[in-house]
Amino acid sequence: MKRKSSFLLDLLGIASAAIVAVLIGFIIILLVSDQPLQAMKSLLVDPISNAFNFGTVLNKATPLIFTGLALSVVFRAGVFSMGAEGQLYVGAFFGAWVATFIPGLPAAIHIPLILIFAMLGGALYGAIPGLLKAYYNANEIVSTLMLNFVATLSVSYLLNNVFKDPASGGYARMPYIQPSAKLGKFMEALPTHSGIFIAIAAAVIIYLFLYKTKGGYELRLVGENPLFAEYGGINTKKVIVLSVMISGALAGIGGVVEVIGLHGALKDQFSVGLGFDGIIIALLARNHPIGVIAAAFFYAYLQVGAQTMQMNSDVSRELAVIIQVLLVLLVSAQAIFAYLKQRVHRRKRGEANAL
Amino acid sequence: MLSNLWGQIIDLTIIAIILRVTVPILLSALGGLISDLAGVVNIGLEGLMLISAFTSIAVGSVTNSWLVGVLAGVAATVLISLAMGFFSLKMKVDIIIAGFAVNIFGSGFTIFMLNTVFGLTGNYNPEHLNKIPVIRIPFIDDIPLLGNLLSGHNLMVWISLLAVLFSFVLIYRTPYGVHLRSVGEAPDAARSLGIHVERIQYSALAWSGLFAGLAGAYFSMGLTSMFVKDMTAGTGFLGLAVVLFGNRNPIGVLLGSLLFGLANAITTLVETAPGAHIPSQFIKMIPYLVTVLALVIFAIRQKRKNLALS
Amino acid sequence: MAVLLEMKDIHKVYPNGTKANQGVNLIIHEGEIHALVGENGAGKSTLMKILFGLEAPTAGEIIYKGEKIWFQGPKDAIKKGIGMVHQHFMLVPSLTVAENIVLGDEPRSGLFNLFRDRKKAISDTQKLIDEFGLKVEPEAKVETISVGQKQRVEILKVLHHGARLIILDEPTAVLTPQETDELFDSLKVLVKQGYTIIFITHKLREVMEISDRITVLRAGKSVGTLITKETNKEEISRLMVGRDVLLRVDKAKAKPKETVLAVENLVVNNNKGSTAVNKISFQIRAGEIFGIAGVEGNGQTELIEAITGLRKVRSGRIQYLNQDLVGKSVLEIRKMGIGHIPEDRQSRGACLTASIAENLILDRYRTKEFRTGPLLNAKQIREFSRQMIKAFDIRTESEDFPVGSLSGGNIQKVVIARELSKNPKLLIASQPTRGVDIGAIEFIHREIVKKRDEGTAVLLVSAELSEVMSLSDRIGVMYNGEMVAIIDNTEELTEQEIGQYMLGVKRQEREAAI
Repeated sequence: MKRKSSFLLDLLGIASAAIVAVLIGFIIILLVSDQPLQAMKSLLVDPISNAFNFGTVLNKATPLIFTGLALSVVFRAGVFSMGAEGQLYVGAFFGAWVATFIPGLPAAIHIPLILIFAMLGGALYGAIPGLLKAYYNANEIVSTLMLNFVATLSVSYLLNNVFKDPASGGYARMPYIQPSAKLGKFMEALPTHSGIFIAIAAAVIIYLFLYKTKGGYELRLVGENPLFAEYGGINTKKVIVLSVMISGALAGIGGVVEVIGLHGALKDQFSVGLGFDGIIIALLARNHPIGVIAAAFFYAYLQVGAQTMQMNSDVSRELAVIIQVLLVLLVSAQAIFAYLKQRVHRRKRGEANAL
Repeated sequence: MLSNLWGQIIDLTIIAIILRVTVPILLSALGGLISDLAGVVNIGLEGLMLISAFTSIAVGSVTNSWLVGVLAGVAATVLISLAMGFFSLKMKVDIIIAGFAVNIFGSGFTIFMLNTVFGLTGNYNPEHLNKIPVIRIPFIDDIPLLGNLLSGHNLMVWISLLAVLFSFVLIYRTPYGVHLRSVGEAPDAARSLGIHVERIQYSALAWSGLFAGLAGAYFSMGLTSMFVKDMTAGTGFLGLAVVLFGNRNPIGVLLGSLLFGLANAITTLVETAPGAHIPSQFIKMIPYLVTVLALVIFAIRQKRKNLALS
Repeated sequence: MAVLLEMKDIHKVYPNGTKANQGVNLIIHEGEIHALVGENGAGKSTLMKILFGLEAPTAGEIIYKGEKIWFQGPKDAIKKGIGMVHQHFMLVPSLTVAENIVLGDEPRSGLFNLFRDRKKAISDTQKLIDEFGLKVEPEAKVETISVGQKQRVEILKVLHHGARLIILDEPTAVLTPQETDELFDSLKVLVKQGYTIIFITHKLREVMEISDRITVLRAGKSVGTLITKETNKEEISRLMVGRDVLLRVDKAKAKPKETVLAVENLVVNNNKGSTAVNKISFQIRAGEIFGIAGVEGNGQTELIEAITGLRKVRSGRIQYLNQDLVGKSVLEIRKMGIGHIPEDRQSRGACLTASIAENLILDRYRTKEFRTGPLLNAKQIREFSRQMIKAFDIRTESEDFPVGSLSGGNIQKVVIARELSKNPKLLIASQPTRGVDIGAIEFIHREIVKKRDEGTAVLLVSAELSEVMSLSDRIGVMYNGEMVAIIDNTEELTEQEIGQYMLGVKRQEREAAI
């Protein structure tokens, strides 16, 4: 089947899945709510109804793009690493340290330095489960899940006992970052910080990496058929470790961008499951870097909509989670895609035979 | 603090503590084991336990019967496990993704229902909850050491130990168990002999749902008497780790669960003991570090075995 | 003889459009051995899957013992007394022989008959073993027994379920000539006791030896039924292919030059830790084809993996030109100009989900020709791929299509295109034509001979004895990890003689170091 029509069909499948999931969400609203129309309106329309909401959507999408990319890369290599959450914290910590305790640098140098340190932190932490899997065949699902807890607890300890800003009171955080470290708003009208551009740039870079470079070629082959890759002389162990390191680096940037763009300081437990959301994003985007941008945007849109829905009606915002789960299941249902492709294929053949 | 701990070891009350903590790990691990043997490993145990925890306490407090509550919780998780089966076997969703979806669903759905049904956010703490009973054996209770060893455990402790025995017999002594293992190892072989591969996989998922349901009910009506959002805190994942360590058999799972229960118990003891100078974060980390350590040791041992061969 | 089975006008069209059977007719007499012959993809396996209930026909009917039947699944077929021994064994490795034999039909005991009666399973199995003389150990775990024994388990399984009509799908693919004889003896015993056998194969020699009648399938249609006594191999092959098939490869005499590969006292372990290659020595010169014959599982796989760097060597030397390959990585070995057609194209030789182009550049994407810095040169890759598709007659519409969309023979052509196009000094070809249709087999053989004539040293490993004998200039035989014979002059060599080496019956006297 031609690559292009197959691609379009995939897109169609995902779009229809999204519509179905949202419709089911509406049905649930009708069942539980006394003000269904208000709830639905909030969910669907509010996110773009004003600049503040829309800007919030973009802000929420930013870290999701990073973690979605992180998971896409590692899934493509055939590694089921679920460690984005922990790598995010480690990277955020390294980057935040640079952002907070190094004064007197111009922003043009400070911010890239922060990002580099965040990448380093995330990559190094990602190397641990990567090495364990590559050289000892240790199950990466279990190891990364456990290491997440270790990372979050360690950073929490450091924030509460070593680097705590005395002025922070009950909710521990590092002191506020240097002014040169801050990612400001790019537009006065929107509350969005320029992290969104870094995120989109990252997606483009990862796309180029995966499809246009030799490293990406090797990574994809290792994910699709490691025996074939080994037979061709590709160092599969190296690729596995590198993939988790790249994933960790992306998660790390995602974490630190939240710090320097949104919060202004490294706050304890600032991530509310961003790493796990990344898994959903990657699945929705079917591990495609550009798809990640769309999926992250959709996901963030849903989150903001659900939040306003909870404020303006009697429906709990966890409805968004239910919609997301439905969407993941529908998108991952290979049977649907295979069925669609067969129908089209058969119709085309039928036409050819008729001629 | 240490003298207190030592005292608890000597008079065997520590056994009670370890068993209490081991129950949910053991039950979820057994569920994971059966589904893994059939080739449809259920990683959604976390979400399933949350759903059961909520359902059982909700139904239990309304009907004022722990039994009805537990049954309701189990019914819910079995149904969802079957739905998982539908999505993965019919709709060809990868079983790992399906399990992951169940986890997210479990977390979000229980919070949603907490809000929608009870109007609460955070936790549900009913008064006068009819909990799962504790079993006191009349005469043995008074014997100093034996009493602490055998009596005073929650019913679910006994059920989970029975579950180990049950699993062993099911897997190794019944035709169903042989079919289960063949479906997981060589589905084509099983199919060619007329064994209904999908039916067995559905049933394996149902079993895992059953065990997860019991574990979840225990969380809200045995270990505690409330529902807190995300209260399972990674127990389901520990259960999966145990399946790996236990070498995929029920006895190994029992031993592995006890080990993890021990680690968890020590965490609780050290944390709650007065005069503890160890920061809470490091204490909380212990089970996870132990797991990673055990994973590494296990993997190194495997590698040494392989190296010795080649 | 009475007609036992009649399959009338069977059609099978798969959802993806493939027409596997188009109006096939098959008549089986009671008590006969009936050979079902055809090339790969002719529809033999599909037809038998339909008979056994694994597939449902799109049209047509089946009349067994006079009544029209419709099977919902294998269990129905088994109930009616039809059993099938598959080409790829359907056994559960961690279960014992007895457990495998009674699988799906376990004898029960205990409360409410809920538990399995393990003792009865073992005794039932032993009874069958004694009755039919198919020797296996009932309590051995299947993962520990040999290939020939596994096949016996499969046959016992079928007999245990009460089959009177037994279908065998390519049973001799993994057997030595001697084991094949043992199998044929068992079949004759069964037939004498009133059993009926359908025997799927494409090995014409065996067809002539064992069968009573033959049905030939070609491209999904039945093209003829013959009585074995009244026909010959040429007629059968003509029906199979529609033209006279070259049963011998047309090649000129080899003109060997300098030694390219010299293996010295090589010792390699298998995955279980025991010795798979036991002090093997041999040499190959440029411009000659050295073929290694032997039943699969005698160390050939491990030998090839050692030479190509996919497996560690315990001791010995692999001298290639003037370097020792031992300890070198796969990449280094490839860079030295060694091509490798692996025995498993589905998992090693190709990546089915990747495009044809991506498969073709596996060993040259690092070269300056195909990349600049980290970026791949897309234009160059596309041109190269198109060239290869044309030169090697790969039937596809575009180089972007996934390799999995191609037929078996065409997938192999992709592998061959990649490995041969870089003009290797040493070409290792392992089971190069397995599962490939006759037209592609001829093409592949011709290409290998062409490379030989251009000066490549070729190491051929094949379980197809006729392929080894017709392609090779010199032949070695591996048995139990050892090179039990090296024959430099293959003119007078018979298949019977090689068979004796292959089974360890005969052993060449070790000459002084070559």
